[in-house]
Amino acid sequence: MATIAIARQEGGRRRARLAQRIRANTSAITGGVILLLVLAGALAAPVLYPGDPLDMVAAPFIWPGTDRAHVLGTDMLGRDIAAGILHGARVSLVIGLVATLVSIVIGVTLGALSGFYGGRVDAVLMRITELVQTIPPFLFALAIVAILQPSIPSIVVAIGLTAWPSLARLVRAEVLKIRHRDFVQASISLGVPHWRIIVLDILPNTLAPVIVSASILVASAILTESSLAFLGLGDPNVASWGGMVGAGREVLRTDWYVATLPGLAIVAAVLGLNLLGDGLNDILDPQR
Amino acid sequence: MMSRRAFAQGVALLALLPAFSLAPSAHAAGEPRRGGTLNAIIQPEPVSLTAAVLAAAPTGIVGGNIFDGLVKYDLALKPQPELAERWETSPDGRTITFHLRRGVTWHDGKPFTSADVQWSLEHVWKPLNPRNPALFRNITSAETPDPHTVVFKLAEPSVALFSMLNGNGAQILPKHLYEGTNVLTNPHNAKPVGTGPFVFKEWVKGSHILLERNPNYWDAGKPYLDRIVFRVVPDGAARAAGLEKGDIHYAPLSPIPLRDAERLAKLPTVKVGTQGYDWLSPWLYLDFNVDSRHFKDARVRRAVAHAIDREALIKLVWFGFGKAAISPVPSTLAAFHDLEVPKYPFDPKKAEALLDEAGLKRGPDGTRLTITHDFLPYGEDYRRTGEFVKQSLKRVGIEVTLRGQDTAAFTRRVYGDRDFDLSSSWSGSFPDPQLGVARLYSSAFAGKNIPWSNGSGFRSAEADSIFKAVESEPDPTKRIQAWKRFQVLAQTELPTLPLVELRFFNVYSSRLRNAVTRGDQIFGALTEAWLDEPEKKN
Repeated sequence: MATIAIARQEGGRRRARLAQRIRANTSAITGGVILLLVLAGALAAPVLYPGDPLDMVAAPFIWPGTDRAHVLGTDMLGRDIAAGILHGARVSLVIGLVATLVSIVIGVTLGALSGFYGGRVDAVLMRITELVQTIPPFLFALAIVAILQPSIPSIVVAIGLTAWPSLARLVRAEVLKIRHRDFVQASISLGVPHWRIIVLDILPNTLAPVIVSASILVASAILTESSLAFLGLGDPNVASWGGMVGAGREVLRTDWYVATLPGLAIVAAVLGLNLLGDGLNDILDPQR
Repeated sequence: MMSRRAFAQGVALLALLPAFSLAPSAHAAGEPRRGGTLNAIIQPEPVSLTAAVLAAAPTGIVGGNIFDGLVKYDLALKPQPELAERWETSPDGRTITFHLRRGVTWHDGKPFTSADVQWSLEHVWKPLNPRNPALFRNITSAETPDPHTVVFKLAEPSVALFSMLNGNGAQILPKHLYEGTNVLTNPHNAKPVGTGPFVFKEWVKGSHILLERNPNYWDAGKPYLDRIVFRVVPDGAARAAGLEKGDIHYAPLSPIPLRDAERLAKLPTVKVGTQGYDWLSPWLYLDFNVDSRHFKDARVRRAVAHAIDREALIKLVWFGFGKAAISPVPSTLAAFHDLEVPKYPFDPKKAEALLDEAGLKRGPDGTRLTITHDFLPYGEDYRRTGEFVKQSLKRVGIEVTLRGQDTAAFTRRVYGDRDFDLSSSWSGSFPDPQLGVARLYSSAFAGKNIPWSNGSGFRSAEADSIFKAVESEPDPTKRIQAWKRFQVLAQTELPTLPLVELRFFNVYSSRLRNAVTRGDQIFGALTEAWLDEPEKKN
């Protein structure tokens, strides 16, 4: 009797775990597929639309679906919207990824040092982190871009410099947890240099939460870039989604598609990244 | 008791009533209707209401209703009596006598006299005039033989002076409220006391500015409106919606996106008009930095001129609100505008030939040269103009890097550091090119970090001598000839490329009549304006 009960319990647990995996994977898969589509669009841009996406190629205000040569229509200057969206995907992805990389480098370094050494180092680094955290990140980014003049590098720097504090705190918390584990203590007593311990022993164990929050950071970087461009602080020399929405805003009452189509691209990319982040969180979280 | 038949007739008559109210009312025939509150929009919110100390357009629009000038300008830009009933110029052009209107009082009840004019000249126009201090410094003294006569003594004759004497260009401030104070910080700048048809009542920052009818206005019976409320509505979509609904009757200075204006103009209840800006005569241009590596060669500048299709620019970016500019003196200055200047029609082949000739051959990637373009940071229209220029030049092998920035960074870069190749800007010419055009080409302003003055860095002894000659030339015909010589020179050397004669527009309710009765209406008073009855809702 007892064995049957245990077996039944086992089966129930396995089924629950399976169901949970599937749920997690649906979210991760949906997000992944959307992102792959965005990536495919970005890669296909120079093939499908060679040449400058900002070029005025046709009559202005061709509505989507009315001209086969311009499937998504043209904007007020006669620029092809489909070309703008595909080329804009490159800009958004590059900015999102590089800015997140900048955040990760800063956040992980500060978080790891803070968690590993504790004491005064921790106090100083965490005060700096809190200081940055008290500044509204978007206003901070706005100020940086306004000072440095809008260009892709300045936008990347602005986003990267403002997005790292949450990551630093996350990594610090993880490092604090791992720091007192036996294998870390063993390395310390063996006299392994600290940087080796941090890089080889501790950081790999913090990878899961970093990956999850990185995917959210990429999404928020894309949103920040779009908002900056919408406010006229994007790089005027490239096609970007936010810039297209900002330009289309003026004709919203008459030609809503000019702003809406690139807006949908932003929604898709950000949604995809968030879904992926959620899914990864479920899959990688050992507690579940 | 009413018979059945009479009742039926009554119904029939009632049915006709809406038709009557839709027909043009008796007022439209010419009889103005009195009363009513004009809901207007002022955008952006002014910083001051006194144009004597601040040349910004919103200041001029509101303040123009509160102040009169010595003269006003009719639709042909000829001076007409306002506070000066008549005037005489001596044969040598060095003495101008103004006979002032009698019985005019300031809004606080004090009489307006020649002392106010004299004091304004000495303490406001000469030291503080934001546009043309030199014009007023040429007036060596003002004599006041009696309270209703003021005599200007000029060092040199000045024809252009007569184009700057309205309530905006030479605003007369009340001496009794300003004397002995710092004019720039006097609190009355924000609650002005003038002699005009409307009296300042209140200014709630961020909300509205309220003006009320001046019951003691010297032009008896005017104005027709009881009140003007200038509302501050920062959101363009809200402005368009207010105009569309009929809540807003008057919105000057291109208040809504051009595409919306195009749409609203088709409604029966809304009118879009471009009149009333002739005194300003705004035009859009590109400044070449003539000290920069490539643009020091005039052939490269001419190539750029041939590469830009101005008609397409006006159609695509300015939605038709403009006219292709061929000269730095816009066609609205009909007497001075020269049709014989060298022209640069859209001709990419010619542009490429000129670039080849200048030794700028296409490289392996098709690029001949790379330049920067700083566009005027005044909003989407100017940004799109920059994008249009970039794409146009790319076609002839000039790669353009657009640079966006805020206004302070823009003026520092272009007029101060001179760290640019090509910039865009707009400027008002005013009725005499001496007032608005000369400072864009005069070497006196080159590289002096004076915003909106000679951005190209052009230095030409010939242009300078023309400017000097026209300043003191009393003969209008000779001045016109000199200005035509200047235009040929400017369009040959081409330090600045005129692109578009801008047509700013007003949006107003079709109920509003006589909103534009003068050539400087935008900075003048709505003295003649009246509101027709609202159409009955059926």
